[in-house]
Amino acid sequence: MGVLIAHRLLQSVVVVLGVTLISFIALHAGGDPTYLFVSERATAEEIALVRQALGFDRPLPVQYLSFVADLARGDFGTSLSYRQPAIDIVLGAFPATIELAVFAFVIAIALAIPLGVVAALNRGTAVDGSITILGLLGQSIPNFWMGIMMILFFGLHLRWFPISGHVPFLLPLLNGDLATAFGNLPRTIYFLVMPGVAVATYSLARNTRLVRSSMLEVLGQDYVRTARAKGLAEHVVVVHHALRNAWLPVVTMIGLEFGFLLGGVVVTETVFSYPGIGRLLFNAINQRDIPLVQAGVILLAANFILLNTVVDLVYARLDPRVTLARRR
Amino acid sequence: MKLRYLVALAAGLAIVGVAAVMKMRPTGPRAASTIVVGLSADIATFEPANISSRDNMNIAHHIFASLFTLGADGTHVPNLARELAISDDGLAYTYTLREGLTCHDGEALTAEDVAYTFTRIANPANKFTGNAPGFVFSSIGFRRAEALDPGRVRITIARKNPIAFGLLTEISIHCKDSYEKMTLDQATTAPVGSGPYRLVSWTRGSEIVLEKTAASAAAYDRIVWRIIPEASTRAAELMAGNVDIIANVAPDQIAAINQSGVATVQSITSTRRMFVGFNQAEQFGQTPGGRAIRDPKVRRALQYAVDVPTICRQLLQVECQRATGLVNPVNANRALSPYPFEPATAERLLDEAGWPRVGGKMRFALTLQAGRGRYLNDVNVVQAIGQYLRDAGVDVTVELLEWASVFQPLLRTRTAGPLFFMGTGGGLWSPIYDMNDLARVESGTNYTNWSDARWFSRWDALTDAATPEDMRRLVDEMLQVFYDDGPWLHLYFQPDFYGVSSRVDWQARPDERVYAYDARPKG
Amino acid sequence: MNTRGRDTRRLWRSLRAAKWPMLALLVLMVVAVVAAFGPWLAPFDPARQSIGSRLSEPMADVQGVTHWLGSDVLGRDVLSRLLYGARISLLVGLAAIAVGGVIGIVAGLLAGYFGGWVDDVTMRLADMQLAFPFILLAIMFLVVLGPGVGNLILVLGIGQWVTYARIVRAETLSLREKEFVEAARALGDSTGSILFRTILPNIVAPLTVIASFNVASVILTEASLSFLGLGVPPSVPTWGSMLAESRDTLLANKWWLAVFPGLAIMLTVLSFNILGDWLRDVLDPRLRDR
Repeated sequence: MGVLIAHRLLQSVVVVLGVTLISFIALHAGGDPTYLFVSERATAEEIALVRQALGFDRPLPVQYLSFVADLARGDFGTSLSYRQPAIDIVLGAFPATIELAVFAFVIAIALAIPLGVVAALNRGTAVDGSITILGLLGQSIPNFWMGIMMILFFGLHLRWFPISGHVPFLLPLLNGDLATAFGNLPRTIYFLVMPGVAVATYSLARNTRLVRSSMLEVLGQDYVRTARAKGLAEHVVVVHHALRNAWLPVVTMIGLEFGFLLGGVVVTETVFSYPGIGRLLFNAINQRDIPLVQAGVILLAANFILLNTVVDLVYARLDPRVTLARRR
Repeated sequence: MKLRYLVALAAGLAIVGVAAVMKMRPTGPRAASTIVVGLSADIATFEPANISSRDNMNIAHHIFASLFTLGADGTHVPNLARELAISDDGLAYTYTLREGLTCHDGEALTAEDVAYTFTRIANPANKFTGNAPGFVFSSIGFRRAEALDPGRVRITIARKNPIAFGLLTEISIHCKDSYEKMTLDQATTAPVGSGPYRLVSWTRGSEIVLEKTAASAAAYDRIVWRIIPEASTRAAELMAGNVDIIANVAPDQIAAINQSGVATVQSITSTRRMFVGFNQAEQFGQTPGGRAIRDPKVRRALQYAVDVPTICRQLLQVECQRATGLVNPVNANRALSPYPFEPATAERLLDEAGWPRVGGKMRFALTLQAGRGRYLNDVNVVQAIGQYLRDAGVDVTVELLEWASVFQPLLRTRTAGPLFFMGTGGGLWSPIYDMNDLARVESGTNYTNWSDARWFSRWDALTDAATPEDMRRLVDEMLQVFYDDGPWLHLYFQPDFYGVSSRVDWQARPDERVYAYDARPKG
Repeated sequence: MNTRGRDTRRLWRSLRAAKWPMLALLVLMVVAVVAAFGPWLAPFDPARQSIGSRLSEPMADVQGVTHWLGSDVLGRDVLSRLLYGARISLLVGLAAIAVGGVIGIVAGLLAGYFGGWVDDVTMRLADMQLAFPFILLAIMFLVVLGPGVGNLILVLGIGQWVTYARIVRAETLSLREKEFVEAARALGDSTGSILFRTILPNIVAPLTVIASFNVASVILTEASLSFLGLGVPPSVPTWGSMLAESRDTLLANKWWLAVFPGLAIMLTVLSFNILGDWLRDVLDPRLRDR
């Protein structure tokens, strides 16, 4: 086990470094970014001075290696636009995105299971038909469009939900300020409803169809017929026998799901003006704030790896046929 | 699992959910003493010497005061100082401060603090990159600041400059002790100012909250600046009554906002001059199109080809202020009137200039570059301009580039073009401020690489003009040259649209400054 | 080994029996026809601006001219743009799949067949790409490379390769030891021939399923990128960019600018999804966890 974890750790470091290298290449591919950091009417001498101050006059490999060297010491660099440690800014915006992703995740899983099960159990009926159609539709709508429609209808027209904004829960919680955190929680959820639904729609639709087909396959199995023949109550059959075995594909999805949800977050955060890391990184990329982008990218990659490792461990526990060594 | 149970559970959850939502919906108006302003982009810092964006400067102006300010109509208004004396040689500016001034931490604000503010900005060790050390100080040629006595401070500049007094209003004044104690990092997030409001909180990406100081005479106790980058979301928040003032309203949203009954749109002609530049740089002279635009006759012909009033009316929803040059109408050459839209004249002049349509095809080809999303409806305006030029026989390809990292560098290196669309901010307080973009051929702001001697040779005479009448005469001569043979296709002064809630009494300014301390509750 | 002919006929028969997939196929054929013949079908030049008649409602008579689906912010005909847009949206979708597919299939074949360090490197590269949201990667490259149909196809394609690589690798791994592959090796076939003529044809089925789902997701991603300002240049019509452009006028109730491109996207994507579902059910039930 120890060897395995060490191996995983090494793999993770390689992946994270690879990610930073890709970002580095991507951000420098457009040439010298100095122009974004001088005021509009700067003279050529000022530009040269700033270029030197920001280190953009060094050859590219030197810039990257010095970045990696700093990283090894735990120094993520200073954001070029905010002039603050990049990691602080990124960590400040991350909790909001976590809240959004977790909320969307809960919707995408928690609603998908009952909907998928109901559809599977009532296969071929109108119920199944409508759930399937809604599922397909949910996978066919561009999420920014859905967000804008929701804003106009539920936010402006009906005034049921707030149009934009965010009430922090995770950040005060992590700072130890439990009173503020839990005091904020109802409003946090209230502000999360629309953006959360926008982010979750695609996943919810897909997961519903996944649960449905998973259940359908399991329900056709012999042991289910045996259980039914034994005269067990329907809900026992479903939950104790069928659902337990239909779990596995869902667990597999979970690891990738979070990463996928984080992808939908960028657009949703822009539409709803939600102050998360997606929007922060989008702006940082536009402004070529390279340290900030790198810090964000590292955080996201580390998060993804951590989640996948956890999922792998859970998977190994749930399905004894699979061992970690043979995962790849 | 019986369907019935599931349905019952779902119904139960739905009822609970609806009840919770109903409970949390805001009922009734917000606190009357708070005003909420919607911003389109987050700010970067509260260190006054690092600020360069307009939004950032607007907020900073609430926290920091300046020696003098500029009124909405361009008048020079005393603020921290009550008097300004300029020496005869124009190099020394002596400000007399008011009595009893303090900073937010209680420290007395005297001439020593003012001198410290200026010196700190200019200190190369601080590596500041904002508007103050960059544009202002290099334009005026700042030399030094010294306190003559506790009530008077003298700013010395390198050369006589008729617009220095206006530029100096951009400098945010703070106290010495508080800033000496702070590191540069701390100054970014914990400003100690001298203005009518102090910073309460800054939640990055989300909002900035300001609170009135005891000494301030402003009407609102609190100002909340909310960051809402998406334009339609901003307008929706205004219409829902959650935000009181928004800037950059898209023209197509104006009617909807006005019909909402909750807010109205104020339209004001700003000082920003929109134009299409004809880049005269060598590198563009290789193609037929590039050679064509070096001929003033061709440039003049194209002035007649674009239907500016229709562009304004249709795409900007307003009858805009036409431009005859680069100076704002209040200071412009009154004898000049805007080029009319006469496509036949354009075609004839192009023929006469030696660029006929051969076989019914296009005369020459040009690329029109522009940034996107920087100016009002720029994406559509530029495409419309391209169409008009194509109708006149110029094969124009419109290239829309990302503003900050692609287009701006091209502008800075003066290699955008051969045609490019942009707008530069101007001022109402002097024609020379507006003309200053083309002070010298090598000026960084001479984006078109223009070098007509009739314009550039008159600058020295302008600076040394003995009387205002002499200056006016010179200005008019220069503007005539610019109108006839200049490097700009004159368009319009950009209208700015501000959405203002009906519970607020606030007047928009033409200089793109948004000062919420001028607002007051209506009724 | 000509089960393929039989398989195809079986496929066709079962398709005709299933209602929805048949409908989906019909829709996609209409879209393909529109994409191919759009320029001849379009009543107006999609780039022709007429700002005097901008934002006119569908079927409204404006100075003697009627736009069936209305006109957009610059007075361009929505129907014509929709028809041209079909061509570009489909082109971007299919080309991106092609790019991603080629890279992914080659990578997957090599990784699965050779194993060892080739496999390790490929999987690490895949991990790197999956480790952070694809859209950020897309943004980074597009911000820097600039907008343009070519760049868009490249970026979207690169986002796809991992999916193909994984499937192809898994299948190659399991097929590697089968008799017919051994036989080919014994006969002295070159590696290339083994990979492309022997193994690949057996993987086509799952790949088709994935591809149909992926075209859907590429079209949606293109729409999102257009929304962020990173898609095609504004003068080029795609359904995604038309939808993205419509947001400024939604408040003013210019519904036709959003509804028609939105419907076009939805119907096309829906059809690809339905078809993909059916293909999967018929060809390879093992792929249900996609």
